[in-house]
Amino acid sequence: MHVPDGFLSPLVTLPAYAAATPLWALGVRRHFGSAQVEALPVLGSLTAVAFVIQTLMIPIPGGTSTHLLGVPLLALRYGPLAAFVAESLVLVLQALLLGAGGVTVLAVNALAMGLIGPSAGWLLHRVLRPVHAGAAAFLGAAVALPVAAAVVAGVLGLQQRLDPSYFPGPLPVVAAALLLPAVLAGLLEGAYTLVAMRLLGRVRGGAGA
Amino acid sequence: MKPVAFLILSLLPAAGAAHEVLHQIGRGRAVDVTAFESDGEVLSDRPFEVFAPTDGAKPWQSGRTDRAGRLAFVPSGPGAWRVRVVDDSGHGLDVVVDVDASGAVSPEPHAHEALHTLSFVLRPLLGAAVIAGIFFGLHRLRRRRAGRT
Repeated sequence: MHVPDGFLSPLVTLPAYAAATPLWALGVRRHFGSAQVEALPVLGSLTAVAFVIQTLMIPIPGGTSTHLLGVPLLALRYGPLAAFVAESLVLVLQALLLGAGGVTVLAVNALAMGLIGPSAGWLLHRVLRPVHAGAAAFLGAAVALPVAAAVVAGVLGLQQRLDPSYFPGPLPVVAAALLLPAVLAGLLEGAYTLVAMRLLGRVRGGAGA
Repeated sequence: MKPVAFLILSLLPAAGAAHEVLHQIGRGRAVDVTAFESDGEVLSDRPFEVFAPTDGAKPWQSGRTDRAGRLAFVPSGPGAWRVRVVDDSGHGLDVVVDVDASGAVSPEPHAHEALHTLSFVLRPLLGAAVIAGIFFGLHRLRRRRAGRT
């Protein structure tokens, strides 16, 4: 789902950085400051797990593959900004250590996979939690991946309209290629998040800010 | 008329030869690039474009990767050749291949290319260890500051 370097023009990447920068500052202050010192070990562990999860590719029939995000769990547990900062760290390390994604497209990838997708899941979780906590966790995480994929598809489709020399695929083709794998992977994301939420619920100090 | 007809007939084989497609085989001059996912899955049958150092707008070569996820091109000169492999799902590759004056590819690998040689198991662990280190340091820093106040 990561958009690699060179696929998006500065016309897309610069506004994304402009939008992401204050949110990074706010997220770091709110979730990674001195007031949240007790939550940091759990946040760090879940971020590390998210990094590992995102390197494990799940083969999809038709010759493609996808991966889970891991950070919707952070959004449900601590809030969307915590997921945003954690996913951004994961993406930075993937770009610098593994050559996946990239620095110019970091803000776009972080906003899609770290903020907008997990925020949709967080909202759904808040709505459904009074009805059924387990279903809320499962569905909240499950919906995050397709939403993130839809955002990535939209951005790539926009880029194709702006300048196809960066990315030539039209929106319907990109959306079809991204959304079906994301829906399938979303079910696994939901299952992972549900299990992890139950485990974390038993761990003292796992409660977030 | 007879000499003219004879002349035309005698030139026909030459005209045919002018349309013959000839070939020449060159070995050891091409640069080959393999595109693959982080888990080793190759990007086979994907569209690719190669841009010469002198023209970044019009592709020098375009085509589709082979079954093994490979593409190959023969650089016409030294410089930074740009290779793009574009997948419909937004995955892909956009790399610069440095070709020196002798036609050889620069032997200096990029950091991520070197890390691709690390195993499928080691790479996730490397990232997880870095994250653990960052949060460990952050935790100690925040705790120390909280202790001072």
